[in-house]
Amino acid sequence: MGSDVTELFVVIAVVMVALIFDFTNGFHDSANAMAGPVATGALRPRTAVILAAVLNLVGACLSTEVAKTISGGFFDEELITVSIILAGLVGAIIWNLLTWLLGLPSSSSHALFGGLIGAVIVGAGFASVHGWVIVSKVLLPAIVAPLVAGIGAALATMLAYRITRRTPSGHSNTGFKYGQAFTASLVALAHGTSDGQKTMGVITLVLIAANLQPPDTGPQPWVILSAGIAIGLGTYSGGWRIMRMLGKGVVEIETPQGAASGAASTATILSSAHLGFGLSTTHVATGSILGSGVGRRDAEVRWGVARKMVFAWLLTLPGSGLVGGAAGLLANRGLAGVIALLVLLAGTCLVIWAFSRPNKISRHNVTDSREVLVLASPRQAEYVNDPRGDAVTKPKKNKKHKAKSAA
Amino acid sequence: MKIDWAALGIVAVVSITATVLFMILLATSIRLLSAARVKTNQGQSATVTLSLGYSLLGLAALLVLFCIYLIVPQFH
Repeated sequence: MGSDVTELFVVIAVVMVALIFDFTNGFHDSANAMAGPVATGALRPRTAVILAAVLNLVGACLSTEVAKTISGGFFDEELITVSIILAGLVGAIIWNLLTWLLGLPSSSSHALFGGLIGAVIVGAGFASVHGWVIVSKVLLPAIVAPLVAGIGAALATMLAYRITRRTPSGHSNTGFKYGQAFTASLVALAHGTSDGQKTMGVITLVLIAANLQPPDTGPQPWVILSAGIAIGLGTYSGGWRIMRMLGKGVVEIETPQGAASGAASTATILSSAHLGFGLSTTHVATGSILGSGVGRRDAEVRWGVARKMVFAWLLTLPGSGLVGGAAGLLANRGLAGVIALLVLLAGTCLVIWAFSRPNKISRHNVTDSREVLVLASPRQAEYVNDPRGDAVTKPKKNKKHKAKSAA
Repeated sequence: MKIDWAALGIVAVVSITATVLFMILLATSIRLLSAARVKTNQGQSATVTLSLGYSLLGLAALLVLFCIYLIVPQFH
């Protein structure tokens, strides 16, 4: 009775939740890419935010390989149901919120994959997960891509300093300042390409599961466009974070390093996306920032911070998988289970919001919780990296700061 | 199903090559443009250096556009 209506309801719920996930991803990430050029004055904040948002949208429309990997490669499409995917998404979001509360640097891309895998295992059995595809397209790239980006950034940084050794530092600084603005824009583009596609993949998976789309097909145009718009809007509304970083007087790594790490991130993310690898953009960006620190002789690299990030990354897939699996148990109980899941999601958001309140996440301790990866030089201030990377949702702070900046 | 090592290799080679090439072009053009400015300040003609610097900058931009062209399916 009414099973079609139920399914349609769940499909719409999943599409909404997926787009919200996408929005928070943009909200979280792209401002980071743009903080560098804004700090050096190469771009004005407003320009940078609009540029990043537009490039996110453009980037999302560039390729669909990653989306196809998610919708067609990971799972046996015959066995996937709409509610399993909802469970995966809920698992990913709850994991992201929890790690955000605990201050663990977690990748929202990996949380998404983990949540989906956990929910599918619980809902459809081990056999429906294509383990080799996940090893080949997620696990190995997760190790290789940051390394590649790091090596590329280290080489590029060394070359940048060597080639401009005799150039007056004022001139090279100005030059690399614009180079950095350019590569930061490219990072925003690549971010849209890589992360926008993950949402497209999930929505496509839902449409296939609901028999609204034949199996083995790519995302539909409206899916591509809405995912692009969601991540672009997220980027745009997350732009206030740039002002905050500036307000704290955070100085960047030097401009040649910024230009080099941006170029390395872009090259790695785009080439990986082209081959359908489901990367975490934050992992790659962190790899190239570390590389740019290694490539400069007098820069100090904080390996301890890097190590902590690695542990958090290792934890994300299994952790979010467990949460996704637990959500999958609920989702298997029909409409009541689905509604319970949605209520649980809303409840968890509220509880975590309430928990984070006593800590008073203001502009001060938010920036404090960011971790320094590379110190430019003892005298200079440090480059600050977002420890939570592309972790999801900080809606509360957004409102606060919006209110502040509006005032 | 086997692991696609070739794809990983391609990502590594292409990414590092593209990054390094881009940086060589960018850094050399910065160096040339700076040299041109120094020359002009000293009252010398710097047309060659200047145009060389700008063409390298153009090449860097072309490299990026070409790489993006390669990954967009609509162009193929």
